Amino acid sequence: MLENYFSVLIFILIGVAMGVAPLVLGRLVAPHRPDKEKNSPYECGFDAFEDARLPFDVRFYLVALLFIIFDLETAFFFPWAVVLDKIGWFGFGAMMIFLGLLVIGFIYEWKKGALEWE
Amino acid sequence: MYNWLTDCVFYVAAALLVVSSLLVITSRNPVRSVLFLVLCFFCSSILWMLLEAEFLALVLIFVYVGAVMTLFLFVVMMLHIDLEKLKTNFVRYLPIGALIVLGMIGLMGYIIAPEHFSLLAPAHHGADYSNIKELGTALYTHYVYPFELAAVILIVAIISAISLAHRGPRGRKSQDVPSQLNIQRNDRVRLVDVPAEKKE
Amino acid sequence: MTLTAYLIIGAILFGISLAGIVLNRKNLIVLLMCIELMLLAVNTNFVAFSHFLGDNAGEVFVFFILTVAAAEAAIGLAILMVLYRKRHTINVDDLNTLKG
Repeated sequence: MLENYFSVLIFILIGVAMGVAPLVLGRLVAPHRPDKEKNSPYECGFDAFEDARLPFDVRFYLVALLFIIFDLETAFFFPWAVVLDKIGWFGFGAMMIFLGLLVIGFIYEWKKGALEWE
Repeated sequence: MYNWLTDCVFYVAAALLVVSSLLVITSRNPVRSVLFLVLCFFCSSILWMLLEAEFLALVLIFVYVGAVMTLFLFVVMMLHIDLEKLKTNFVRYLPIGALIVLGMIGLMGYIIAPEHFSLLAPAHHGADYSNIKELGTALYTHYVYPFELAAVILIVAIISAISLAHRGPRGRKSQDVPSQLNIQRNDRVRLVDVPAEKKE
Repeated sequence: MTLTAYLIIGAILFGISLAGIVLNRKNLIVLLMCIELMLLAVNTNFVAFSHFLGDNAGEVFVFFILTVAAAEAAIGLAILMVLYRKRHTINVDDLNTLKG
C-alpha cells in the first residue's frame, strides 16, 4: 500500500526543498548585518504605536466553530461512499439517520441566525 | 530498499514530532505553539501513514490541521493575552516537569519493552489494499450504534457552540420581514381622545 | 519498524504533553493544546496496535476519538471565549470563583 504514496513523499520532499532552498540561499549569499534598529518594528519613522497583530473579529470564530462540525460530518461520508455497495440499504439507512440528526442541528443554527453576517 | 526507506521516514518524522511537541510546550508565544502543534499533527499523520492507516492520516490532516487548529489560531489571535503574566512560574515548574516527563517515559518504556510486546510486523499489504474500505465495512456494520452516537455528539457540539458563542443580532440594521408583515394597526396608530377646548 | 518503536513515540508524546500541562498551568489555551497532544499520543498507540494485531477495531476507535476530540475542542474554546468576555482573563489562577 505504501508504494502508492511514494510519489507523495517525493512531492513533499521537493515542496519542502523549494521552500527552504531560497531562504538558505538568501541567508548564505546575501549580506547579513542586522542591528537593533534594523530589527525593530518600523512604522513611518515612529516607534510602533500598537501590536502589529490586530485582534480578530469574533464573527469568524463562530463560522470556524461550525465548520469543524460539518468537516467531521464529511469525514464520515467518505468511507460510507466507498463501501456503499457492500453495506446496502442498512448502511444507507444508518447514514440517513446520521444526516437527519445533523440536519436538525443545521436547522437550529439557521433559525438562530448563527449563519448571518451582521 | 522498501524497509530502508520506511525506517528512514519513520525516524525523520518521529524526531520532528518530538522536537515540535517540545516546542509546543516551551514556546512563549501561543501563536507559535499552535503552529508547532500543526507540525506535530503533520508528523504523526506521516507515522499513521506508515502504519497503513491512510484514511485516518488524511482525516487528521483535513479535520485537525484544516479546522481545529484554525480555530485555535483564531482564538489565540482574538484574545489580548498578557503573556508575561501567564509565564512567570515557568522556570520554577521546570524541574518538576522534567521529572514527570522522565518518570513517565521511563515507566512506560519499562512496560512496553520488547519482551512484553513482541508482535511481529505484519506483511505489507499490496498496492490494491484499501484501508478506507476496511474501515468503512467495520464502521457501518459492527459499529453502527457508535456511529449514530457520533451524530448525537456532533449535534450537542453544534447546539452548545451556538448557545455559548452566538450573541444574537447586535446592532444589525436589517429588516425583519415577518414582524413587518404581522404588524397590527393598533401597534402603529394610537387614537387619542382629546377633549375639545372651549373657545375663550 | 517494530511495535515498540511506535509505542515509545506515543509514550514520549504523552509525557511531553503532561509536562506541558504542569509547566503552563496558567494559560488555558496551551492547556487545551496539551490535551490535544495527549489524545494524539493515545491515538498513535491505537493505530499501532491496530496495525500490528491486524484488527480494524482500533482504527474505528481512533475515528471516534477524533470526532469527540474535535467536538471537545470546539466546546472548550467556546467556553474559553465566553470566559474571556466575562472576566477578561484566561489565567487559571484567576478562575477561582467556585473555590470555597
